[in-house]
Amino acid sequence: MSIATENAQQLAVKGNKPKHEKTDKIVSGSEAVILSLIEEGVDTIFGYPGGAIMPIYDALFHYRHALNHILVRHEQGATHAAEGYAQMAGKPGVCFATSGPGATNLVTGIADAMLDSVPIVCITGQVPEKFLGTDAFQETDVMSLAMPITKWCYQIADADEIPYILAKAFYIARSGRPGPVLIDITKCAQFDSMTKPFRYEKRKQIKGYKPACKPREKDITKAVELLNQAKRPFLFVGHGVLLSKAENELLKFIEKTDIPVASTLLGLSAFPSDHPNYKGMLGMHGNYAPNKLTNKADVIIAVGMRFDDRVTGNLDTYAKQAKVIHIDIDHAEMGKNVIPTVAMIADAKEALQALIPAVNENKHESWHQEFKKLYDEEYEKVIEKDFTAHDELIKMGEVIRRLSEKTKGEAVVVADVGQHQMSAARYSKFRKTDSWLTSGGLGTMGYALPASFGAKMGAPDREVVAVIGDGCFQMTIQELGTIAQSGLPVKIIVLNNNYLGMVRQWQQLFFDTRYSFVELSNPDFITIAKGFGIKGHRCMHADDLDSSLDTLINSTEAYLLEISVEKEANVFPMMPSGMGVDDIRLD
Amino acid sequence: MKRRYTIIVFTENNFGLLNRITIIFSRRRINIESLTVSETERKGISRFTIVIDYDETKIRKLIQQIRKIIGVLVVFENEDDQVFFGQIAYFKVITSSFEEREKVMEIAHRHQAKIAFSSDDYIVIEKSGKEEDISTTLHLLEPHGVVEYCKSGRIAIVKDQHRFSKYAKNMDPEGWYSDEEFHELQSNGRHSF
Repeated sequence: MSIATENAQQLAVKGNKPKHEKTDKIVSGSEAVILSLIEEGVDTIFGYPGGAIMPIYDALFHYRHALNHILVRHEQGATHAAEGYAQMAGKPGVCFATSGPGATNLVTGIADAMLDSVPIVCITGQVPEKFLGTDAFQETDVMSLAMPITKWCYQIADADEIPYILAKAFYIARSGRPGPVLIDITKCAQFDSMTKPFRYEKRKQIKGYKPACKPREKDITKAVELLNQAKRPFLFVGHGVLLSKAENELLKFIEKTDIPVASTLLGLSAFPSDHPNYKGMLGMHGNYAPNKLTNKADVIIAVGMRFDDRVTGNLDTYAKQAKVIHIDIDHAEMGKNVIPTVAMIADAKEALQALIPAVNENKHESWHQEFKKLYDEEYEKVIEKDFTAHDELIKMGEVIRRLSEKTKGEAVVVADVGQHQMSAARYSKFRKTDSWLTSGGLGTMGYALPASFGAKMGAPDREVVAVIGDGCFQMTIQELGTIAQSGLPVKIIVLNNNYLGMVRQWQQLFFDTRYSFVELSNPDFITIAKGFGIKGHRCMHADDLDSSLDTLINSTEAYLLEISVEKEANVFPMMPSGMGVDDIRLD
Repeated sequence: MKRRYTIIVFTENNFGLLNRITIIFSRRRINIESLTVSETERKGISRFTIVIDYDETKIRKLIQQIRKIIGVLVVFENEDDQVFFGQIAYFKVITSSFEEREKVMEIAHRHQAKIAFSSDDYIVIEKSGKEEDISTTLHLLEPHGVVEYCKSGRIAIVKDQHRFSKYAKNMDPEGWYSDEEFHELQSNGRHSF
């Protein structure tokens, strides 16, 4: 076993922190990169070496006891792993890739991180400066590729710039609304020695960049006035609550005001699923009551969410009757989709802290009853059926329900994209915060497998279960190798219906059942896992489900459970594309 | 409804920022009518003057997206009555005879244009002003044989002294917005919530 692998296992299992010594030596650009990462408290890097980043990898070799490197099998895996790591560790995830194809392979994960506000710092090697623009071997203009999908990107061609730029990169990635940053470093800048001793200063501000500000008094006053007078208030919880660690404040606020709560896809686990005020998920495949009653609420308070089109459906009919209090750290979200009555540009935690003492204690019994009535309707028409196997065919909903029960709602569920994602979002019961990772904005198939081992690295003490469809699994299946090599005890559930299920559902509902290229002839996943050195089991019948899940959960090492699920099941409720929240249908 | 906007953006003088800013327009399929970039009187600070025709209900969202770019320091969006603005044009006119030459110089004189260069064969006329003045001059010179014509993008100065100087401090090395200034800037007068 390599030293790096040993380190990975130690860090993953024991949560050890790396040690390093400060230096004031003249160092090479490459060493400056590594020292800068150590100064930023980085302990894990996900990456893939190649020609243009070899000097950095060479420097990393000398610091392999301080920095743990996970060798992924494809650079897209590095970005998703860094995303998973960042969300669980609460600090930026770091990726390395070489120039050209290495850098272009990062692009999907970077775009994913951008849409879901995940802080990652990607460092790419670049051809020597004199070759820039000459179509040199493995040269791509990664800066131009990265600009539309990063919060910031920069190309370094001078070794002296490295500590300053990396400090800026980390500050930008983690502050305000977090996001991905890419730093491209020419090979010469990696090889060259700095002209002055290495010094590193963490950034606290950048000219022209104001990542956060305190909520305005007048906004607090106006919001409180609206909330105190509201008869049918409704709170939407978004990813921003998790990013600002405002879960406790949210709970206090709700317990005082008795406002019903619904979550966006990325806000899941910010509020306990078993709380009486929790009404479910918003959006296209969200719960019936929260969608329907969005258009009945008189005051909507949206915390750390962006009124994504999957949440709002048709904006022309969306919440027209409601006064909207929008709390978000990103000023550009204000009025982007929904015009708020009160635009509170602030960190969610600070905003809730300001609101809690000012709002009245309240009760909204009859308003809660309206949710209950619609929930009962959804339960009868959808939920109960999703939990009931017929002809021994396993339902996705049933798998998730049992998984949630067996893990007591404390596992970190990492879902990929599609029907299984929506089932996992709907039926997972979360009792701990930071228990849900998925690709929300970009909807990136292939996200979950690499994100799950990144999450395990970020939170070694948490149980991490990846829930993946058969289509998604094959997009990053090679990362089984990374999991095996790193010895990370990640649990993988593949819900196999031999279809690209969500596309098939749409083709059935909206394209007259013309199933155009959605059926998959799948390989033997268990044999593939075995080839990578990962144990597994295929569950074909409902009566085998319980014991299969028990084996998965009790495994002390990585484990793959493939479950054959009903082939042509549909996910309901569903808001047809282009329709409004009122148009959500139960069948 | 579409209106003409002159967007003035102050940025750090870094490579790549032009690209980052123009992406904001191109991804929304907004055609830039004119774009002028130059360094300002402050070292290391660049000034972009961007002219677009855009929907008045959407302009605020566009400005917010530009403000988000790291390296962008201050952004003003202006309608024509809020700025002094102008362009500069050069016309190369072939003058085959003395009489022709006299006529061309007379047109230039009448339209407050100046002779930038004169040779035996041609004259280069420089005209600055509003777009319509430049068009008129071009229209008058064309019959005399304009063989080359070029026109700059718009440059503009904000009329409201207070509005500019208040936020320009963010361009100073130690200048930072307070929370209140930041909120005020986001509200930007008529777009307040």
